[in-house]
Amino acid sequence: MNPFMFRPGNSTLHGLDTRCKVFLVCLMSLALVKADFPACGILFGILVFFIKNIGLGVGETLKHLKYFILFLVFILLSRALTIAGDPLISLHGMTISAQGLYQGSLVALRFFLVMVTGLVFSATTRPSSLKSAAQWYLKPIPLIPEKRVAIMISLALRFLPLLLQQAQETSNAICARCGNLEKNPVKRFIRLTLPLLKKTFLSADHLISAMEARCYCEDRTDPEFEPSGKEAIFIVISLVFWLCLFLA
Amino acid sequence: MATPILEINHLTHRYPDGNGGIFDINFSVTKGEFILIAGQNGSGKTTLIRHLNGLIAPQEGRILLQGRDIFKNLTHTRKTVGMVFQDADTQIVCDTVYDEVAFGPENLNLERSLINKKVIQVLDQLDLTGLKHRNPATLSGGEKRKLAIAGILAMDPEVIVFDEPFANLDHPGTQSILAVISGLNKNGHTIIMATHDVETVLHSASRLIIMARGRIAIEGSITQMVGHLESHGIKPPCTCTMEPPSPPCQ
Repeated sequence: MNPFMFRPGNSTLHGLDTRCKVFLVCLMSLALVKADFPACGILFGILVFFIKNIGLGVGETLKHLKYFILFLVFILLSRALTIAGDPLISLHGMTISAQGLYQGSLVALRFFLVMVTGLVFSATTRPSSLKSAAQWYLKPIPLIPEKRVAIMISLALRFLPLLLQQAQETSNAICARCGNLEKNPVKRFIRLTLPLLKKTFLSADHLISAMEARCYCEDRTDPEFEPSGKEAIFIVISLVFWLCLFLA
Repeated sequence: MATPILEINHLTHRYPDGNGGIFDINFSVTKGEFILIAGQNGSGKTTLIRHLNGLIAPQEGRILLQGRDIFKNLTHTRKTVGMVFQDADTQIVCDTVYDEVAFGPENLNLERSLINKKVIQVLDQLDLTGLKHRNPATLSGGEKRKLAIAGILAMDPEVIVFDEPFANLDHPGTQSILAVISGLNKNGHTIIMATHDVETVLHSASRLIIMARGRIAIEGSITQMVGHLESHGIKPPCTCTMEPPSPPCQ
């Protein structure tokens, strides 16, 4: 199961208008640029509350993010080893400095919080309403065809898994005829990509026909939003937190 | 005699490579009919039905919908003549069942309240209400096919054209889709179906057109045509009676 998949539910975040959630995620990401350990701790507490609230479970979330956490450990170590400062540990000519460890931990924690925010957002937001929110935000910007962008987002969300499935099927078909014995990676790549591209273009052709058959045009009904009424509270609290962080 | 809803006159379409195509096709469709278009692979079935809602323009001849050329108002044509494609995977555009059904009405720029009403009604009609928040990629083959039909039904078509609706379906999936299609025909929809799996649907259809090499080889009522199936490369039913296939063929 993809950890970033939408999980239907009735939590407060599920009910929140997607436009508001997009705004909050942007605000939180900006806040994290300035956040130090205490602020990160507060944000972490808030995220843990919402993770429990949407029924995800902290352990399960960490399990889903295990490879990402490894990546964060790598960032922490590289920072700790490269930033000069008061030495903490010295081993085989490499020194971990106190300042490096502090900086590395902070950067890793900020990345971690951004990732968990994204996970909470995607677990509580239907992809289709994300598309609608993108359309709504792009509407006032001149020269950007927001409806076309929205349908492109929708098609990407719909067809990405299908393309991966086709790639897997093509790969299986090649292996079934001992194609896996080919050691030359370029030949292997060509053998996989050419039929995959052919299939993809054919599918795109069919898709265009299917959309035309259902009168697809850009003058479509606008998406519908259903605000829960709690959006203003969330925005005010987030703005106060954000201001406190930047003014402190 | 009832006025035809669709008239196909001297329809011809040749492909540039010289393979396939259709030549001098003539027939008319009366409201409420259930027409089967059968034929071997490459006989021109798909090319023919793709003309019916304006996806392919004829090179010669014309198609009249309620007496007017279908290309005069393509939006009206595509709203009146719905098309269900062979591969549901490439027909499904959206990432939830609900949005997929709403896609057509949204293209027609209908009021949101009307769209919601139509979607709920169609989902209920096809027993898909429980799946409305699901991602179409996670549905079974039969459910995907039903969803493709639902996407068309939400646009209130009078005629529904099916291209090989039973392809790649198991027996329960086939029966379920057949029940949906027969139900639509009983509710007054005109059905045109291109298939080579004639046996499955023979008992529901009212007329059979057999195509060969891009031309109509022979057409008539089901009773008249049963004996001609095998000679045109189409698998005949196990029994040549008009009784429903029960018990199943051995």
